[in-house]
Amino acid sequence: MRRSEPVRVLAAPRARTRQRGMRRRTAAGVGFALPAVVLLAVFAIYPIAQVFALSFFDYNLTSPPEYVGSGNYEFLASDPRFTDALTQTLIYTLGTYVPALVLALCLAQVLSSRHLGSGLTRLMFFLPVAISWVAASIIWRVVLSPDGPLNQILHVDVNWLTSSAAAPWALILMSVWKETGFFLILFLAGLLGIPGDVYEAARLDGANAWQRMRYVTLPLLRPMTAVCVVTATLRGFQSFSPQVVMTGGSFGTEVVNLFVYKTAFESARMGRASAVAVLMFFLLVAIAMVQMAALRKAD
Amino acid sequence: MGGRVIRVLGGVLPLALGLVFVSVLVFAVLGAFSPVGTAIGTDGWVPEHPAWGNVTAPFDIAPFGTYFKNSVVVGISVTILNVLTCTAAGYSFSKYEFPGRRVGFTVVLATLMVPLEVLYVPLYNIVYDLGWVNSFAGLIIPAGTSAFGIFLMKQAIDSVPNELMEAARIDGAGELRTLVSVVVPGITGPMSALALFVFMTNWDSHLWPLLVASDDAHRTLPVGLAAMQANNQGSAGAPVLLMAALLAVLPTVVLFLALQKRFVEGVAMTAGIK
Repeated sequence: MRRSEPVRVLAAPRARTRQRGMRRRTAAGVGFALPAVVLLAVFAIYPIAQVFALSFFDYNLTSPPEYVGSGNYEFLASDPRFTDALTQTLIYTLGTYVPALVLALCLAQVLSSRHLGSGLTRLMFFLPVAISWVAASIIWRVVLSPDGPLNQILHVDVNWLTSSAAAPWALILMSVWKETGFFLILFLAGLLGIPGDVYEAARLDGANAWQRMRYVTLPLLRPMTAVCVVTATLRGFQSFSPQVVMTGGSFGTEVVNLFVYKTAFESARMGRASAVAVLMFFLLVAIAMVQMAALRKAD
Repeated sequence: MGGRVIRVLGGVLPLALGLVFVSVLVFAVLGAFSPVGTAIGTDGWVPEHPAWGNVTAPFDIAPFGTYFKNSVVVGISVTILNVLTCTAAGYSFSKYEFPGRRVGFTVVLATLMVPLEVLYVPLYNIVYDLGWVNSFAGLIIPAGTSAFGIFLMKQAIDSVPNELMEAARIDGAGELRTLVSVVVPGITGPMSALALFVFMTNWDSHLWPLLVASDDAHRTLPVGLAAMQANNQGSAGAPVLLMAALLAVLPTVVLFLALQKRFVEGVAMTAGIK
């Protein structure tokens, strides 16, 4: 704009043309944003509003919704199946993502320098990321079957997927395998942002590997760690495929997402399922806020 | 001394653990070629008589080819739609002034924080009311844009200098021409990272397709695979299921191996948003 300053003094019609140009540009700006905004409005924002409304109704898709006030929430408060699902989700999320994040962080620290074979080693951890959850679950079902390779290698006879004692841990084992690479990618990207001479300086000051991790990597990686922790929580709470494919939610592996699915689409209780979704929404927001605050305070 | 031990351990331990991770996939490949009807390992972990015919077995016991085709159609459509809508919206939010722009962008960012888990019950009602259950529209259109894609494209386009666009306009280029011939060439890197990331995420998508496309004509691979698994519980069918799972991930694994750098970029970019 400022560049065309000298032109502006030329004549009044120019100004009109420019005004028309501005209007056309406004229209173009709105037009470019419109398809995405309409899709988000219909398929994201409107459903968010609806989920709150639906949670106060009894609704089975075929007959008209019936207002039940806080009935759905009261039911959930005294439903042991919901409490179990919530507990199982917490165990699954912590059990999977604490080891996955710690492992990814340590591996990133070691694999960030480009020594011989580090590319190949990275690839070994990245591969499970490129494999879909359902395919991975099918593979692990065979790995964990009673006469499968895991039992044979360990010389044990564990019913990994058909006992309440083992099934939750079997799912966690498989998920650590699947998810470590994802967070390794994130931590490696975070490490790229730390200039090499910071480590050089630490090394010259006589810092050993542990001290470099403790006093250089961790503080400088904190923003990325915060992202990873929040992302991991979201992923953990949304887990669905491994439970469906590997155990069908039996043997104490029914997580919240599977509970919502069964409540909505097997029992046709859309309102009650929406109430769970609303509770999950607030729980996830609260957890994310606590996590962000904790990781910020550590400074 | 201690330093050397740590350095050696640092080199060996990750490699050893990596081999453990990969061994699962090696087992899957070997198991997929072991004879159908006997437990895997009966013929040796490395099958003595590899059953090469297993490659076509998934197509015989289920409409696996249809699942595959559906995944390709849905994956490509969703990817193209995302790249188009996110680039256009990112351009708009980055370079245009119009009333409601700031509010609009804030709302877009807010939807980032809401997981599908919270949305899918009402989302299903909407798609049901639209008559899109068991249709490609129901699989494709709700997934046609993404808040994170819009954010990524806005970030990328922010770095395209305004002078370039002004020059194009002075040369008489229209708004769309300016986007296509001046802006897009400068952001092909982030665009292809977005495309790869959307495609891979969609290929993995299970819950939503399970809800809106449960008939054989529309099932995508994850839904179809899970159904095949449910119908073949016995261990005798394990080689075929392993084969099906491996065939199903072949496209994303090949894409990943070919475009590893772009993919890493894409995952890393998704981290920049929260």
